[in-house]
Amino acid sequence: MSTTPSPVPSTREAVIIGGNRIPFSRAGKKYVRTSNQDMFTAALEGLVARFGLQGERLGEVAGGAVLKHSKNFNLIRESVLGSSLSPATPAYDVQQACATGLEAAIAVTNKIKLGQIESAIAGGTDTVSDAPIVVSDRLRAALLDANHAKTTGAKIKALLPVLSHPKWLAPVSPSTGEPRTHLSMGEHQAITTAKWGITREDQDEVAYSSHQNLARAWESGFFDDLVTPYKGLTRDDNLRPDTSLEKLAKLKPVFGTSLEGAATMTAGNSTPLTDGASTVLFSSREWAEERDLPILAKFVDAETAAVDFVHGHEGLLMAPAAAVPRLLARNGLTLEDIDFFEIHEAFASTVLTTLAAWEDEEYCRTELGLDGAFGKIDRSKLNVNGSSLAAGHPFAATGGRIIATAAKLVAAKAAETGRPARALISVCAAGGLGAVAIVESA
Amino acid sequence: MTVGRTGAPASYGVSELARLPKLGGLFAKGVAGSVGKRPKDAVRLPEVTYRVVGVDTTAEAAHLAAYLRLVGEPSSDVLPAGFLHVLAFPLATAVMVRGDFPLPLLGLVHLRNVARVLRPVRLGETLEVRAWAQDARAHRRGVQVDLVAEVLVDGDLAYRGVSTYLAKGFTAPDGAASADESPREEWAPPLPTARWKLGGGTGRAYGAVSGDQNPIHTSKLGARAFGFPRAIAHGMYVAARALAEVGPARRGETYEWTVEFFKPVLLPGTVDVSIRNVADVDPTGSAGGSGPASGYVYDGWRSGKNTRHFGGTVRPV
Repeated sequence: MSTTPSPVPSTREAVIIGGNRIPFSRAGKKYVRTSNQDMFTAALEGLVARFGLQGERLGEVAGGAVLKHSKNFNLIRESVLGSSLSPATPAYDVQQACATGLEAAIAVTNKIKLGQIESAIAGGTDTVSDAPIVVSDRLRAALLDANHAKTTGAKIKALLPVLSHPKWLAPVSPSTGEPRTHLSMGEHQAITTAKWGITREDQDEVAYSSHQNLARAWESGFFDDLVTPYKGLTRDDNLRPDTSLEKLAKLKPVFGTSLEGAATMTAGNSTPLTDGASTVLFSSREWAEERDLPILAKFVDAETAAVDFVHGHEGLLMAPAAAVPRLLARNGLTLEDIDFFEIHEAFASTVLTTLAAWEDEEYCRTELGLDGAFGKIDRSKLNVNGSSLAAGHPFAATGGRIIATAAKLVAAKAAETGRPARALISVCAAGGLGAVAIVESA
Repeated sequence: MTVGRTGAPASYGVSELARLPKLGGLFAKGVAGSVGKRPKDAVRLPEVTYRVVGVDTTAEAAHLAAYLRLVGEPSSDVLPAGFLHVLAFPLATAVMVRGDFPLPLLGLVHLRNVARVLRPVRLGETLEVRAWAQDARAHRRGVQVDLVAEVLVDGDLAYRGVSTYLAKGFTAPDGAASADESPREEWAPPLPTARWKLGGGTGRAYGAVSGDQNPIHTSKLGARAFGFPRAIAHGMYVAARALAEVGPARRGETYEWTVEFFKPVLLPGTVDVSIRNVADVDPTGSAGGSGPASGYVYDGWRSGKNTRHFGGTVRPV
């Protein structure tokens, strides 16, 4: 941990041209019976239209979904085939829980930097409304046995136990519970929240700011060239411009209610289950210039991390706390060099525990291998145009939403000040994972 | 704890059995025999070791797979300590249902279990299994006794498990030591690291793989007969899940696995569990005392309450 980071190798740049997503919608609302492929294709087509990519053979398209049916084994390739991109555009699926979208971006930008491809789209999609339902393990075992049986008699014999166990027929809904701990993500974060002593008021404040900031961004037209309306939805329908700290304070805690001490995490300061899809267009500088496409920003560098959460050494969603110091050190940067912090709001307290960790000397020394506290960030630079608490969080689509927002923010800031501007992106994910990246004005 | 010693006390005779007995028949005998076993004189244990040689584990493949799946162990051809306990349990039970075993099988309370795997036992190996009862000693509520089971491979001790049971109302023999009963310290649950939702069928499912179909685990009526409102989970099931949770990679090939049982887990029920590396529980090692120097400590309690169900350790040996 304390080894000196190797310098970033010199490669050519990967630039961000722009992004497109569909409005995010709370589960069970506008996008009921809309598949991951439907939504990703829609987001992709919007991007194609925005940048005139019809018939274009791109280097590749990478993305994924967290809740994915096994029949969607080539989800992204199938979406490409349903788009007006050239069918000669290769594609592949990525899955890293909530970091899927950002990890897809890391993968394609690395290929661009190495000169393996000139252009790429990265993104993600997720639906809770159209999530796959699976059969119980026992029914599955019986069906597989029957399938493998050679004779009709053997097939019937394999299925007989099902008749006497009608409960086996009950379908199993997907869950966001951690496979090893059987705790939901919210329960895990409630434990981390309790450990760090994060207050209800601070969490509600983060949620309130998220709604205020996202509402202002929508009003100011910030998302006009980032979002394409879909299925009658023109804005993220989780957004509550009229919410207040008083309203948020009235909500009942939903996570951590069995822990000692008052529970603090509510439906208001936790992200709702959401449907949606997002895409971002990347390329080499030359490719964009040849086509006269705008260059918003550079995708500078990225880092992933993981923490040992299974036995409670670290909180489930704390990996970005470890990833960011490593990323900044490698790039010779400090927190002061960052103009925008885009920290994914899985829960308001995820943001707050991450910030608290960076301010804690002891933690930074023992867990991060630093000489002292990593530092304090200026809250006025945090999620300035809202984040997942207000926009919603269709797991794999969140990375694309954030990258496009960050690219536009740094481009505008650089244009305004005449100086380079930087954004730091941080996304936590199930499995104790985290992915972080630096985006800099081009 | 007598884990370090191997073999039965020198005064014990050996009784050879042709094969491992079946639990079903033993339970029937145990239930019938329990009636006549009442607290009279001081408890005297039968000085006999039951021994079965040539136990072929090849036939256990499907049984092992079912066990591993149920307790959450990864698929493997290595028999975890919990499975060795299950394998040897009928032989220990055979000792307990002997006419001269003074304590009634029904109503014995499993207080704790200490098991050590000293070399891995693999599917296909031929085993020698031994079991005997020893160390009847006073407990404030009666007498407690150790049932010891050993598994040998090629003459080498591979596993030794000591199950401590309490028989309420019975009297320890003269000169017997008192059980080590340090007063229970105040206990407050730590932050959980996991949550187990145990369904109503948990006891039946573990009963099916362990053979322990004791009605207090498998039916509400059976549990009521012993004063529990609902069926209770097998202690060795929750302990085996904790062992599986630590997992083969972290516990190593040879390890010690302990569990102490407090209040039983009523089924269905939700148990909050904390399974932590010793380094995280006591980072400075300053607590000293009884804690293991490395490995994992675990606790289970009723979700949202201070009702402690079980606690134990898993540490490499």
